[in-house]
Amino acid sequence: MGNNLKNELAVGKRGIGVGVERPHSYTDFLPYILVFPAVMVILLLYLHPLLTSFWKSFISKEEVLSLANYEKTLRLYRYDILFTLGVTVLSTFIATVLSILVAVYLRLSKGWLANSVGILYRLPIFLPFVVIAQMMRSFLAPHGILNLFLAKLNVIDIENPLQLFNWVGLTFGFVWKEAPFMILIICGGFQMIDDSYIEAAKSVGAKLPQIITKILIPMNKPTILIAVTLVFCSLVGCFSFPYMLIGGKSPVTITVDIAHRVNYFGDYGVANALGVFSYIMVSLLAIYYVRSMMKKGLYE
Amino acid sequence: MNKKGVFEDIIMKKSIFKKTIEIVIFVVFLFFLFTPLFSTIIWSVALVWYWPHTLPQKVGFDYWLQALGITKSLTLGAVNVVPAFLLSLGIAMIVVIITMAIAIPAGYALAKLKIPALLKGMILILFLLPRAFPQQPVFVNLMLMFNKIGLTGTVSGVILVHLVVGLVFAVWITASTFSSIPPELEEAARSVGASRLKAFLKVTLPLSAPGLVASAVFVFLTSMDEFTGTFFVGLPFVTTLPMTLYSASGSNIQFASVTAILLLIPSIIFMIVIQKFLKAEHLGGMGG
Repeated sequence: MGNNLKNELAVGKRGIGVGVERPHSYTDFLPYILVFPAVMVILLLYLHPLLTSFWKSFISKEEVLSLANYEKTLRLYRYDILFTLGVTVLSTFIATVLSILVAVYLRLSKGWLANSVGILYRLPIFLPFVVIAQMMRSFLAPHGILNLFLAKLNVIDIENPLQLFNWVGLTFGFVWKEAPFMILIICGGFQMIDDSYIEAAKSVGAKLPQIITKILIPMNKPTILIAVTLVFCSLVGCFSFPYMLIGGKSPVTITVDIAHRVNYFGDYGVANALGVFSYIMVSLLAIYYVRSMMKKGLYE
Repeated sequence: MNKKGVFEDIIMKKSIFKKTIEIVIFVVFLFFLFTPLFSTIIWSVALVWYWPHTLPQKVGFDYWLQALGITKSLTLGAVNVVPAFLLSLGIAMIVVIITMAIAIPAGYALAKLKIPALLKGMILILFLLPRAFPQQPVFVNLMLMFNKIGLTGTVSGVILVHLVVGLVFAVWITASTFSSIPPELEEAARSVGASRLKAFLKVTLPLSAPGLVASAVFVFLTSMDEFTGTFFVGLPFVTTLPMTLYSASGSNIQFASVTAILLLIPSIIFMIVIQKFLKAEHLGGMGG
């Protein structure tokens, strides 16, 4: 009790700026005690397996250090590596353009149309990819609703429906899920821009394209880049959707190849080498993300 | 003073023609946004649907009743989603309790207490990495690690995987919640004699309750929806709802559609309720 009171007095004094040093009090260790469990969980169950995946990618079947896994990976999967990169870049690019256009529309418009778009677009953000995969499987199937609709409009021949369980369907699903998330982030940024900037530009005769490229995008570059980064990185690592949409067919994303290597061959060396390729793909943006989040201060 | 939307004329001068274009784009937007969902809903009640008819010839809730275990099913590829749903629910609740018990102290320490800058920077990087790098290779190696200690294919193993996935977001969300609470309030409570713990319990905790609840719901949903980690660590013995959806997806479209709808209902309800408490960036973590 007495000790407790002393602590409180000390704390009280520190509060008014006297600055009492109290070595070896439990409060000095309190921050470490509080973060310890969380840090241990991430170290043991995340960082350790992450480093193992690097290490194991250099260990051959004969348990020796070699580049055999990389040689085999490039021989078997170089097209899938390029496919993954291509689909991810294409999806991120389409999602970015689309989301900027919608965000501009939402920033500059009002009325019931804009209001309903502003609410409805959020739906896909909350859906997990496994559900989206099932939705796309029934929507994009050769005998699915999309083909049916296009056939009724006489855009396609009903006997010869579009085959979409490939990069096209994958890109469609990726954009469907990620563009709304980007709209949400970019809209937040656009709202921060004061109307006076847009009014000023308008009064000197700027048209819509100039307002987008000279005001809205430059003033929101960090926000847009963060959105691009988060989307790109999560698409490179997305497993459930390509696995359920394309599965065993080729070409397919490297996440599916990793699952096949593990499940059918027990070949962890090549699986990990593929994993390292996915790290390399995101590395530049990932470093940018970590750096900008650290610079931004803590959590704001 | 809200002048949002006075710039209509930049986008288009109001004319019947332009308004028509706006409505056509709106209809295309609605089509692509909602038809995948409608397609799934229609399939879940389609008993007979011959190509290329616009709508099913025969509809009914037969597959729903079978999936929910109300009527017995002899259909090929039939699933009973009730055990999977209860398993997912149980795992999610345990994951929420463990995650929040670990994340609240960590978030508080990061936001409010003095940690040397270098150490703090390292901790922050540690919690940013899972957000930036693909997680699947990590789960593969976690599976190998769990193989050695007999955790693969067990509910405990799956809980640990979900813990990793949820913890990263929970720490960020709780930390940002705590840092939004002015430190003067807790200092005021302590200056009139409250202990650090009491000041936290009586002042900071109630004020941060909405953010903490949002964080807990977020963790709950990441666990309910988690696919990749469960695929490697849980299958074939731990079949959560996403795993059931995955196995139904290849064999029976009606059962898969029923399972998909069951899985998206909690996401939509919860997120409508809590999304205003969450930062936009965190929402990107939904359902990888």
